[in-house]
Amino acid sequence: MKKKWLGTTMATALATLMLVGCGSNNANNAGESPAASAPSSQAASTAPADAPSGEPAKLVISTWGFSPEFFDQEVFGPFEKAHNVKIVLETGNNADRLNKIRQGTSEIDVIYLSDYYAQQAIDEGLLEKIDPAQIPNIQNIFSIAQAPLGADYGPAYTVGQLGIAYNPDMVEKEVTSWSDLWDPSFKNNLTLPNITGTAGPMVVDVASRVAGNAAFNEDAAFSKLAETKGNVVKFYSKTSEFVNMFAQQEIAGGPIMESYFKDLQAAVPGAKFVKPKEGGYAIMNTLNVVKGSKNKELAEAFIDWQLSKEVQEKSAKAKIDSPVNKDVQLTEEEARGVTYGADVIEKLNKLDMALVNKNMANWTDRWNKEIAN
Amino acid sequence: MKKSVLYGLLLPGLLFLGIFMVVPIVLTIGSTFYRGGSLTLSGYAHFFEDSYFNQILLTTVGISLITTLLCVALGFPTAYYISRKKARSKGILLAIAIFPLLTSPIVRSFSWMIILGRKGLINDVIVGLGLAEKPLDILYTPTAIVIGLTHLFLPIMIISLVGVLENIDTDLVQAAQSLGASRLSAFARIVFPLALPGLVIGAVIVFVGSLTAYTTPALLGGKQRVISTFLYQNAMTLNDWFLASVIAVIMIAITFIVVGLMNRATHQFNPKG
Repeated sequence: MKKKWLGTTMATALATLMLVGCGSNNANNAGESPAASAPSSQAASTAPADAPSGEPAKLVISTWGFSPEFFDQEVFGPFEKAHNVKIVLETGNNADRLNKIRQGTSEIDVIYLSDYYAQQAIDEGLLEKIDPAQIPNIQNIFSIAQAPLGADYGPAYTVGQLGIAYNPDMVEKEVTSWSDLWDPSFKNNLTLPNITGTAGPMVVDVASRVAGNAAFNEDAAFSKLAETKGNVVKFYSKTSEFVNMFAQQEIAGGPIMESYFKDLQAAVPGAKFVKPKEGGYAIMNTLNVVKGSKNKELAEAFIDWQLSKEVQEKSAKAKIDSPVNKDVQLTEEEARGVTYGADVIEKLNKLDMALVNKNMANWTDRWNKEIAN
Repeated sequence: MKKSVLYGLLLPGLLFLGIFMVVPIVLTIGSTFYRGGSLTLSGYAHFFEDSYFNQILLTTVGISLITTLLCVALGFPTAYYISRKKARSKGILLAIAIFPLLTSPIVRSFSWMIILGRKGLINDVIVGLGLAEKPLDILYTPTAIVIGLTHLFLPIMIISLVGVLENIDTDLVQAAQSLGASRLSAFARIVFPLALPGLVIGAVIVFVGSLTAYTTPALLGGKQRVISTFLYQNAMTLNDWFLASVIAVIMIAITFIVVGLMNRATHQFNPKG
């Protein structure tokens, strides 16, 4: 009697645990927009004629989760209609979502990652090779974005720029160059991105350049970076930290992505964004198919849709992502705060992510010991 | 009730703790001794040989100790005062003391950023009174972490002290005084030893909480790392779960050592406590 009772309790407890474990898969659901929740018959009547009918397929997309309304209405919604598919979202930052596909417990088909994290996923064999023929729009985007991590892997759907933002009321010098970050006018007033963030390795490259090296020189970079000790107040890990410190005037400026400059301007109207004369750095967000995806064709069709002129133009005008599609035309007003134009984008400095990845553990160690203490 | 029923009632709790606490901790500890297919202590050797890791460890333990002492210094008088009040005002005062616990550490850290910053309240007063020419750098230093953590954990210290202090019979103090003890010596020899169990529980929670706190040091701290932010860096951005596990085990070990030392100290003051 006693044994039976114990057995039942344990079975119930285990069953409960399993249910709880499964729950995490049904994360955010993108299908809450009216278009997506319409019955499939109605959806088919408004969709293009070649749209498949019947039970909708499921496509799981892993993304950051910013600007959810825009993506629901302009990116995911129309794709669901046109391909009779239900998009399920999993959201989080790069590192968390990369860890999730590492664990392999989730059925993610398409993943949005910055190039640095995508390279890690490639090195660990977590991404599927793409078939560029299935993504014709690759031909219509700037060459820098076509195959940032090699022709086998996904394109960048947006290219942003790392430059310098500063508050002219707090900095006497007019900032024009990366070397100005070492200027005494930034004394105890500067923030730099943390080494583990996307922009961290770019600052290492900047330091090597400022130290006067044409080719990358690790030792010169780190000894140059150590000279910023008197200038740096704090290293930022999230852009929101930069914005807060800037608004509270804890810092006068530092390297930041152009697309966040509008937040700085909202806090400090006189703020300036500088594209340093040595060139800004390209920050690329890529799209890839996750290994083991059962919907590879659909995933590639989605990547193609995200590169299309229609989506690229809408996200540029909403100032959400800078466009890489060459056909997108923006007015001067629409281009403000957006990294736009062939001449701008093709001139950006680009880091070799495979090299960065290989050195990351070592660089982090040196950064901790030589700069951040 | 039958014994078997009682054990049955225990089962869900035991299962929960077993699956979600004991198993992960054992796995974590085990994984730190096993690398490249053989048993090894290299993870720990590497950690303790590196002066940078030692420095992080010292900074973190230092911050936690100072926070604990500050919480005792601020919490004891407050708790003593509250414990001597009548039931009704005691309830109100306790509610006020606990109130900060109802807001998240993130919100509290942001408030401290506004207060401690260069353009913040404290620096406005200091510069306004002419005590300093330029604003002091408080935010993004270890001092800011200590202030944030003290604010975070003081209510817990007060609660655990009020619990023991209100159970100390005032007759004991009166008896000591009637037998010639001064107020100070009555406090030192009667009240303090009897309050020690609560003090130790409070101190352990504050110390361990400060040692493992992540949000407050990440938001209020500056360039220096503390052990929890260092662990996060290794686990989440470097994907070095081996070193992260070593750090976690070291944190567990420090916790046990500190709890042991505190228990021993209590025993000396109050052998029956």
